[in-house]
Amino acid sequence: MMIPIRCYTCGKVIAHYYDDFLDGMKAGKEASELLDSFDLKRYCCRRMLITHVELIDDILTFSSPVR
Amino acid sequence: MELEIIEQHENYVKFVLSGITPTFANTLRRLIMSEVPTMAIDEVIIIENTTPLYDEIVAHRLGLLPLKTDLASYVLPTECECGGQGCTSCEVSLTLEVLGEKDIEIVYSNSLLSQDPKIGPVFLNIPILKMAKNQKIFLEAIARLGRGMEHAKWQPTSTVSYKYYPVVKFNEKNCTYCGECVEVCPRDIIKIENGKIYAENVINCSLCNQCVDICETDAVFVSTTGTDFIFTVESTGALSTKDILLKALKILNEKANEFKVNVEEF
Repeated sequence: MMIPIRCYTCGKVIAHYYDDFLDGMKAGKEASELLDSFDLKRYCCRRMLITHVELIDDILTFSSPVR
Repeated sequence: MELEIIEQHENYVKFVLSGITPTFANTLRRLIMSEVPTMAIDEVIIIENTTPLYDEIVAHRLGLLPLKTDLASYVLPTECECGGQGCTSCEVSLTLEVLGEKDIEIVYSNSLLSQDPKIGPVFLNIPILKMAKNQKIFLEAIARLGRGMEHAKWQPTSTVSYKYYPVVKFNEKNCTYCGECVEVCPRDIIKIENGKIYAENVINCSLCNQCVDICETDAVFVSTTGTDFIFTVESTGALSTKDILLKALKILNEKANEFKVNVEEF
């Protein structure tokens, strides 16, 4: 759905890196470089950003707006 | 007991505590994880939510946000004079009211407005939810102090760990300088230079014993000092690492005093 606020395994807060991560990936940077720049050392936190799929963007287009 | 800080940045500290027992090291770790109180959102009153996310998802995400904590002005609800009913010294109210103006509106944690400027989200750019145009979220969140033993959202740290201080020794009489231990070491701490074998940055050793296992002539020995511990404390940002350690030690002191009083009474 949305990027989880914390790492599932260790509980480190990772959600605030997501926008920078996406911007960096769009700019053509390597995922590993970006994760190192965020100081995410453990593989549990690194997989949170790498494997995330933002499904809510697809759901949003079908949700009805309020009048 | 000696303390030597090895590495320190914002919300992270690594130090060596020497001259203690494993029991004390674990006591400190467990106190930090489950006894040091921090602020977290505990109750969410949803007034309006027309976003595609369910109320429960929003409430859960809010709970996980680390909040800046002021331990001097707030007390645990169970220890409060109001008896846990909720008053200004044990509760803070935060409000979130956003109307979707763009096709995809992302609500960040900076939209969460706190009643007390000292309490508020640590990171202001955490996405809480997304909404489409004209959708609305309006809620009141109540933050309270709590302990990690009740829920992980109240833990002041994401990681607290310790390991024994490693000792890597070589028997130069047996060593054939084949270099196999150098190759197998995942932390690259063993070096052979000018016909001498030595270990550098021993603190990085993970005590995996691969060098001992691969050595055919029994020339490598890996052990620990047994009384020195390398601690890593990684804060969520709610409290500084220094405050966390000080509070943990204060709690230990209080517990010991309480026990002492009980013993004196029998």
